Amino acid sequence: MSVPAAGGKSKRNVLTHPLLWTAILFVVLPFVAGANPFAHQGGFVDIATTMLIFALFASGFNLLFGHVGELSFGHAMFFALGAYTTALYTKGFSVVLFGQPLQHAPTDGMIVALGLSLLIGLAWAWFLARLIVPRSSGIYFAMITLAFAQVIYFIAFNYSDLTGGEDGIQGIMRPSLGPLTSDWFHESIHYYIFAAVVVFLTLLLLYWIISSPFGSVLHAIRENKQRARFLGYDVDKYRVNAFVLSAFFPIVAGWLWAFFQQAMNPDAGSVDYSGNVVMMSLLGGMQTFMGPIIGAIVYWELQNNVSQATKYWEAWIGIVFVVFVLAGPRGVMGLADDIRHYGFANALRRGFSSRARYQTDVKEELPPLDESVAPEHVS
Amino acid sequence: MTSGEQSSANDYVFRTEGLTRRFSGFTAVNSVTLTIPTGGVRTIIGPNGAGKTTFFNLLSGLLPPSEGRIWFKDREITSLLAYQRARLGIARSFQITNIFGHLTVYENVRLAVQAVHDGKANFFLPARRMGDLATQTERVLNDVGLSDAAGARAENLSHGDQRRLEIGLVIASDPPVLLLDEPLAGMSPTETHETVDLIQRISPGRTILLVEHDIDVVMAISTTITVFQTGAVLAIGTPQEIRANEAVQRAYLGELV
Repeated sequence: MSVPAAGGKSKRNVLTHPLLWTAILFVVLPFVAGANPFAHQGGFVDIATTMLIFALFASGFNLLFGHVGELSFGHAMFFALGAYTTALYTKGFSVVLFGQPLQHAPTDGMIVALGLSLLIGLAWAWFLARLIVPRSSGIYFAMITLAFAQVIYFIAFNYSDLTGGEDGIQGIMRPSLGPLTSDWFHESIHYYIFAAVVVFLTLLLLYWIISSPFGSVLHAIRENKQRARFLGYDVDKYRVNAFVLSAFFPIVAGWLWAFFQQAMNPDAGSVDYSGNVVMMSLLGGMQTFMGPIIGAIVYWELQNNVSQATKYWEAWIGIVFVVFVLAGPRGVMGLADDIRHYGFANALRRGFSSRARYQTDVKEELPPLDESVAPEHVS
Repeated sequence: MTSGEQSSANDYVFRTEGLTRRFSGFTAVNSVTLTIPTGGVRTIIGPNGAGKTTFFNLLSGLLPPSEGRIWFKDREITSLLAYQRARLGIARSFQITNIFGHLTVYENVRLAVQAVHDGKANFFLPARRMGDLATQTERVLNDVGLSDAAGARAENLSHGDQRRLEIGLVIASDPPVLLLDEPLAGMSPTETHETVDLIQRISPGRTILLVEHDIDVVMAISTTITVFQTGAVLAIGTPQEIRANEAVQRAYLGELV
């Protein structure tokens, strides 16, 4: 599960399949999330739900970051668009727009809310993608996405009539869905189960995307844009499509978030949130499917534990982050992979030695080259 | 190659008219009007800085020309982007090895094969097509002699094997026209020998444009040779004609003799 796009022919071992491990993780999570070995506590379902929703948010972001190699520093805008659309549709609103009164009564319709969130969020993503993706990449792309995210953030912050401004929107009802009543959704564990099913199914879609031929082209673009172009790939079109697809997942995550929090404030679209998913992807391992999922779990686990011990928790998380970037740039998933191949002690030594830093281990996984091929080329 | 004369669409692959490329005051390619006939190995030689690679970059769409026009067969391609030219069947390799280093050899070639289908079946290929991709990928790997290294990461191959992988990427889409920019650069004698064999094996039915410094190889495999000097065409002819050409001898200070 560590090697991105290794040999097209190889069949995955079922026991190491990332989807299996993701499913196992989702089952175990509500029992262990927030666990603090010193305080003998754990199993905070709401922390587990937070982890799930951010796992989805970060995974979507990472489709662009880890698989196309393009850093968006504004993916929280899609999260916020999904969350606010859902909150406003559910809670209702009444504003005056260009002299016209615009009203919407509170509505209990989570599927319609999802549809509207996707409609608005994806339309914005598509517009933005067409506008900025062909024109920028690298650091410029990161800055422009940040700028547009700030636009969304300040609309949420300043357009108080609609969004409630800094205070945001409170009292969003948990929804009902068919036989599942709003009261049923109110139970933390019920909402967790619902979110786990939604997140897992959505991640299934993501997994299918990155292991499809479309996904391999994204990897090709990440590795070498010029080569991809000269093979005949319309690189910009792929980048635009990848951008829109990578917005899909944060929008769904935002939809889950609004019903989960039952309250919404502009933080959802803040630079903090955009930065958090970058951190989660790097912590977990950006070139893997499970990386951002693990990263989201590790991040919230740390946040929960460290913030109980000290109010400077963000500094401690920062230190963990720096250690990972310096010693294990392939994240938790890279470390797990090394442990599998070299044993625990060697994996750690490898992680901290500068020599092996950016190497990966495909070489060792493969059978040695055929003798008849190799020796002639020793020059 | 024949200069200037008008040919019908079937007779030539490329035709350029007044093709010029300047870089902040320096003119790398200076008003080149050239017709490159279909078929054979068409080699471009010339001293360093003569504009050979820039000419390749203009033909393949890496650089837009400052002035002039380019036709591919009967179609003007002056304003087409690199990927659009690639889809027309113009494939190229680069002077500095240009592959997907972090992907496996197999994945490299499969991506090149898949690119052919890209225009039609865009997003997600049906599984049935995937089978065809696998068959063709294995055939290309076999053609370039890298079947046994299929699972290796491309960056871990020897230099010579990386160069051959790049030729594999270039021929994977079965393009009618190949632009090979110094495919033998940095190769050992054995690797050179194998790669020349490979080029000769893939040349039937295709037009190969070659930029190469290894004069012995150039003389041995070229159908025609075009000599570039300071951004312009100095001479065109068969290897024998070029060897005998006085202007060329002067430009090369006797290297050819």
